Amino acid sequence: MTGDFQSDSDPVESESDLVEPESDSESEPEPEPESMATVRLRWRDGRGASVTADDEPVLDAAEESGVGLPFGCRTGACGTCTGRLLDGEVVHERPPRALKPHHLDDGYVLTCIAVPTGDCTVEVGTDVQRDLLVNPWQ
Amino acid sequence: MSQPDASEQAGTEQAHEHHDHAGPGYMTPQAAIEESTPERRAYVVANHVGMDVDAPDFVAVVDVDPESGTYGEITDRIDLPNMGDELHHFGWNACSSSCHMGGLERRYLVVPGNRSSRIHVVDTKDRDHPELASVIEPEEVHEHDLSAPHTVHCIGGGTVVISMLGDADGDLPGGFLELDDDLNVQGRWEPPGEIDFNYDYWYQPRHNAMVSSEWAAPKTYQPGFDMDDVEAGNYGHELQFWNWEDRTVEQTLDLGEEGMIPLEVRFLHSPEHAHGFVNAALSSNVFHYWKRDGEWHAEKVIDFEGREMDGWDMPVPALPTDILISMDDRYLFGGNWLHGDVWMYDISDPANPRRADSLSVGGYFGDVQEVQGRELVAGPQMLQLSLDGERLYWTTSLYSTWDNTFFPDEAEQGSVMLKADVNPRRGTMTLDEEFLVDFGEVPEGPARAHEIRWPDGDCTSDVWM
Repeated sequence: MTGDFQSDSDPVESESDLVEPESDSESEPEPEPESMATVRLRWRDGRGASVTADDEPVLDAAEESGVGLPFGCRTGACGTCTGRLLDGEVVHERPPRALKPHHLDDGYVLTCIAVPTGDCTVEVGTDVQRDLLVNPWQ
Repeated sequence: MSQPDASEQAGTEQAHEHHDHAGPGYMTPQAAIEESTPERRAYVVANHVGMDVDAPDFVAVVDVDPESGTYGEITDRIDLPNMGDELHHFGWNACSSSCHMGGLERRYLVVPGNRSSRIHVVDTKDRDHPELASVIEPEEVHEHDLSAPHTVHCIGGGTVVISMLGDADGDLPGGFLELDDDLNVQGRWEPPGEIDFNYDYWYQPRHNAMVSSEWAAPKTYQPGFDMDDVEAGNYGHELQFWNWEDRTVEQTLDLGEEGMIPLEVRFLHSPEHAHGFVNAALSSNVFHYWKRDGEWHAEKVIDFEGREMDGWDMPVPALPTDILISMDDRYLFGGNWLHGDVWMYDISDPANPRRADSLSVGGYFGDVQEVQGRELVAGPQMLQLSLDGERLYWTTSLYSTWDNTFFPDEAEQGSVMLKADVNPRRGTMTLDEEFLVDFGEVPEGPARAHEIRWPDGDCTSDVWM
């Protein structure tokens, strides 16, 4: 899930462009574009939300749906946005510098640069990042 | 925004009419002591980042006038437009280094977000009700392959230089970003390739000197402290001494294992002195640095021993994360964040600091663990001293991820701002338990406060040419 994936084609948008904006067609649901991914967000206090990611990072998708997630640098350096992938797959669109290899192995992802490749479930909230913090003297 | 003309200056600085200088600040450090009046309000940056509060970070106006009905309260706030900034250090468009520059005034606060690399400019023309004037977006900073802004100093004439801890990816090297006199990005201040690590800096123009210190790459310190990074050499332990006019590093001093993570660099205020101090936070030492025969030297002069905590694996270091020098250059103040000590050392002989007094408050071992019934939760961190040297204030938050590691309860309770009364003739401090600012009571949810500044100059921002 850590590759430098960057999508450079978007057939979905071209399909959407073909749909005529007929006002009487609202009873006919538009076909769900293939690259649209449903991202289920889970907080540890039991809250949940479901947002749609259109070939974009989880954080952007959440913001577009009015769902607030923690973030900081938005470049993959600071780790404020750390979430944990519970199901599905994401690809980091830049190197996830804030995470060490063992964090990646344990499923931690940076929602600011993690782009879902399909439907997925991500554990979110500030307490997820705190999993990575260890007081070395304690 | 443009910097104002001299006709707009009235009322912002104290008692300058008696002097021949037309600019901001004070002619000398002693003039700052004599001419300043006791601080009535403080500007304090406060953060929600890293906490379960869905709100932007803010600059607080705190009433520190004991005669006021709102003493110890946050009387106004500048809420920033975005979340996730992590405000940390901030500074002025002009200080005493511009005291001969007619037409300039100490008016604009430059307030960077250390995580976001977004830089805010706050107009304090109305000292009680400052307003956000402009915002430099992260993309404008990244364009110069820089990120993670930290120390803000004006360098005279209305321009500002900010130490930057990383490149556009949050990796090494860091550098310095210059803002022009309209507080727009001018570009990189120094030629690329001078440094790797960066953190704080201070300049001493009469010695054509600047000193900079070292934390780590943003990708290292921002996610939180990890001992593996120390062992991997990902934290700094050097001081860089610069040729101020040439903007190049002339000498590097490696402080070694006893100088791990050198943070705040403080020159003596007198522009004649080529002496200063730096706190090596992780090694829990303070170094004195000085210039002699054209060479810079550094020597450990204060050493804080680790303390045993029942049931813990290793002795806990003191972690002195901030220091400052009183405006009369007599005392070095500091705080040991983990242990819970605020201390003052007599530095009248800078090579041989003498412990004058200390307070045991907050942290893991402090004797005082609550003020006015409010649990302190964390230790003394960012300090600010009144210009007359009689009142020392401090906050208790270091950095969101480090707070969450060492004082996790602060994420739920927020931080506090505390105060001690100082007797600078006797070298003593007394905790003032009448004073408490509780950043846990912010309406949106608890906040953590960091650096403190006075509207009219303080012991950690003014420089004399």
